Amino acid sequence: MTDDLIGTQEPGGQESIEPMAGGPAMIVGRQPLGLWSDVWRRLRRNKLAVVGLGIIIVFVTVGIAESVSTAAGFNLAPYDPNAVNYELSPEGLGSPPSWSHPFGTDYLGRDIFSRVLVATRISMLVGVIAVAIALAIGLVLGPIAGYYGGAVDSVIMRTADIFFAFPYILFVLLLVTVLGGGFINVFVAIGLLSWAVYARLNRGSVLSVRRMEFVEAARAQGATDLRIIFRHVLPNTMAPVYVAIAMGVGGAISTEAALSFLGIGIQPPDASWGKMISDYLSYMAAGRWWMELFPALALVITVFGFISFGNGLRDATDPKLKE
Amino acid sequence: MAERLLEVSGLSTHFFTHAGVVKAVNGVSFTLDRQETLGIVGESGSGKTVTALSVMRLVPDPPGKVVAGTIDLKGRDLLAISEDEMRQVRGNDIAMIFQDPMTSLNPVYKVGDQIAEAVMLHQDKGKKEAWSMAAELLKRVGIPDAKHRVTQYPHEFSGGMRQRAMIAMAISCNPDILIADEPTTALDVTIQAQIIEVVIEMQQQYHSGVILITHDLGVVAEMSDKVMVMYGGRTVEYGPVDEVFYNAHHPYTWGLLGSLPRLDLAEKERLTPIKGNPPDLMLLPEGCPFSGRCGYERPECRAVWPELEIVGPEHGVHCHIPADERLTLRAGLPRFLAQVS
Amino acid sequence: MLAYIARRLAQLVLVLVGVSLITFIIMFVVPGDPAALLAGKNATPEKVAQIRQNLGLDEPLYVQYGKFMGRLLRGDFGTSYQTGQPVSEMIRENAPNTIQLAVAAVLIELIGIPLGIYSALRQYTFWDTTLTTGALLIWGTPVFVLALLMQYVFGLKLGLLPISGSGGETFLWIIPADLENLEALILPAVTLGIIEVAYISYMQRASMLEVIRADYIRTARAKGVAERRVVLKHGLKNALIPVITIAGIDLGALMGGAILTETVFSRPGIGLMIYQAIGARDMPVVVGGVLFATFFYVLANLVVDLTYAYLDPRIRLEEG
Repeated sequence: MTDDLIGTQEPGGQESIEPMAGGPAMIVGRQPLGLWSDVWRRLRRNKLAVVGLGIIIVFVTVGIAESVSTAAGFNLAPYDPNAVNYELSPEGLGSPPSWSHPFGTDYLGRDIFSRVLVATRISMLVGVIAVAIALAIGLVLGPIAGYYGGAVDSVIMRTADIFFAFPYILFVLLLVTVLGGGFINVFVAIGLLSWAVYARLNRGSVLSVRRMEFVEAARAQGATDLRIIFRHVLPNTMAPVYVAIAMGVGGAISTEAALSFLGIGIQPPDASWGKMISDYLSYMAAGRWWMELFPALALVITVFGFISFGNGLRDATDPKLKE
Repeated sequence: MAERLLEVSGLSTHFFTHAGVVKAVNGVSFTLDRQETLGIVGESGSGKTVTALSVMRLVPDPPGKVVAGTIDLKGRDLLAISEDEMRQVRGNDIAMIFQDPMTSLNPVYKVGDQIAEAVMLHQDKGKKEAWSMAAELLKRVGIPDAKHRVTQYPHEFSGGMRQRAMIAMAISCNPDILIADEPTTALDVTIQAQIIEVVIEMQQQYHSGVILITHDLGVVAEMSDKVMVMYGGRTVEYGPVDEVFYNAHHPYTWGLLGSLPRLDLAEKERLTPIKGNPPDLMLLPEGCPFSGRCGYERPECRAVWPELEIVGPEHGVHCHIPADERLTLRAGLPRFLAQVS
Repeated sequence: MLAYIARRLAQLVLVLVGVSLITFIIMFVVPGDPAALLAGKNATPEKVAQIRQNLGLDEPLYVQYGKFMGRLLRGDFGTSYQTGQPVSEMIRENAPNTIQLAVAAVLIELIGIPLGIYSALRQYTFWDTTLTTGALLIWGTPVFVLALLMQYVFGLKLGLLPISGSGGETFLWIIPADLENLEALILPAVTLGIIEVAYISYMQRASMLEVIRADYIRTARAKGVAERRVVLKHGLKNALIPVITIAGIDLGALMGGAILTETVFSRPGIGLMIYQAIGARDMPVVVGGVLFATFFYVLANLVVDLTYAYLDPRIRLEEG
């Protein structure tokens, strides 16, 4: 008909109109909305989630920087975190925050800011490695259970039940004791015990997705089961998993701190926030608050960041939460 | 002369959201008499449901607000009364049933409980009496074994039965007006006919006026006395159902009628959908919302909203195209209903 | 219904067996010899061997496990390698503190329910934002950090409450019957409780927000039901369901002994018992403790599922 006179205007679509003679284009369309840009838009409105994301970015960057510098052998922090300096610790009680040492020094005269900074690396590594391990196991077992159903499903889920039934911290404790201390073992232990969450999450989604038509379509094209699971089904079930990952990293960091606090896991000279909290505990009574405060703050803020973001992500991907 | 129940004038309802103002309903007017059925048709987003919700004052606020107009129910302006008074009206003078009966019934309470609630609220009856009334109502809408059914939960009912239960709930207090928002859309075709039957029956029994909102022209043809065609929040055509169907004057109505599949035409005939997409309710033009899809636009269509023009007995249309030109255009359309009875 | 319960109970047994097996195996893989630890630093090899024989540690694995399961079926959890005390007795000594703490914490966390509801109804207001932010902050705080904080503020600085220990009289095994018992309970219970209050209020708020947007709420309003009643009658029951299940599972989980809290507050309980036993490679105690904790956790899950089915008529016990 006369489409060339007046262009098509799609709701939410790109603007594609010819300006009418003598006047500027009167109609401006909106940007197209893909799934993830919609999620991002909703996420942006959640201030806490944005703050959380900011925190995550800051700490992850520091973590990466620290990892790189440790591997390369140089030190990014203002001072050597292990450099003992008795002059800075009169009476063996450390010195309060000052311009040269913003977080103060501990009982051995070591700069606390540097120690907290270096410990960031450990915490970030925990998050990444532990969750990666858990995902590797969970994202394989979960979809398999959900896709095949029946006996396979039963076996996998019963095993998951057993893992769930264990009191978490105690089980991690047990495993770490078995494997010995050292931070790699801690990460592995935490990771090994968290897979059940991802598996169960995934399985539920897979169960509902596998009956959908595009799976039929793929099968009709001759795709093998494995391919169907990992290429077609899995990507569509990932939204709740991303949320679980964010929360999982927060949880892993928290757990590592708890383990270090109990004295299991990280061994000196490696520093970790949890260990620092434990080490400096006795100095609280003497009023040397800064030693305890800053590692604790770092820990709380980091975990808060992940949980906050995770929650925001969950709200943003929840189809039922209309605005 | 039938009693006039409802008179809506110049109703406008807007939603004030983060992304902009959604003008869902603009300047809509209609009337409803006792035992009359008004069909409101239009596609999704045309403003049909919001119009109904506005009459019930159920528009979520924020972000929605009735920004203009009057709603006159037997002499009272519903927009002017207090919330308490409005609550007396809801369920009592005007009742509404919704599209999806599964989600519209509370899953954790028995069906009898939900029906009895309406009765106890408006009719000052005790619990026992209300429950027996509920059973009676279920029977009246055609649910077998009503006494037993009344103690069941919504998920134990089939789709059609749930809708019947909703109807029972709505008529429980003998309302003057029953608003049915897409009552058959979520149901199987065979059940659809049954539900329409039930509504018609209840209307006759209770002498109520019915506002039927739907996008299904077949249902409208069967049930309505009058029809109001809506597009982009505005009324584009309005009149007795035969008039509007056989003497349609608005290009959108032509499009609606022309896009109906027909068994009697040649096999090679293709369906003619209306080109383009529904309008973005945040970016509506000042004039006719259908401009841009119409195909017969004139320069003034986008900028100025056409005045009401009477083209037949009680039949009005809003369109800038002169009436005689319209008739010519219409006659040239490939599949116009006027050719077949 | 009965078949469902029977099936779940069978599952419970299965899980317990699985847990005991895994724990048993792990304990054997643990480096360190309980006999040597027991004998002390300067013991002669003969002494160590003697102890090993006494404890039956020189027998092959499957024999030990078999004996262990046999005893278990008779209700005998074995005896501690360290003290020779029957494990069941140890559990009985430590359980009350743990149960008391668990119950108290869960009762406290129920406060989260009205908080969450209120927050949902006042969405986007100052109160709501404050509550949500606070909830996230607290929820994210690791429990031992919070415990330390509580200890410092209320114990040391303000001197209000004792910072360690337990004791005093109880009534019916878990209800504090005197001030000493109550005082020692407050800080640890509040610590655990507050973190859960944060979690529950957040979840309740989310649940309520979802419910309030449901179609059946609109129907209730269309019937002319007053807003208050719409929320309290139609909305609440639906919104409460997921949260009650959380509280129930928490109760079960806390039976595992909140080891971190118990450590910080020096409050002897199941958690601490297991922790010390791990260090001493005291296998019967570890296994006994873990079984105790697991049993309650799985039981709690079962009860929660049944309650869920009771509250939500749609879930009347589907198979699977």
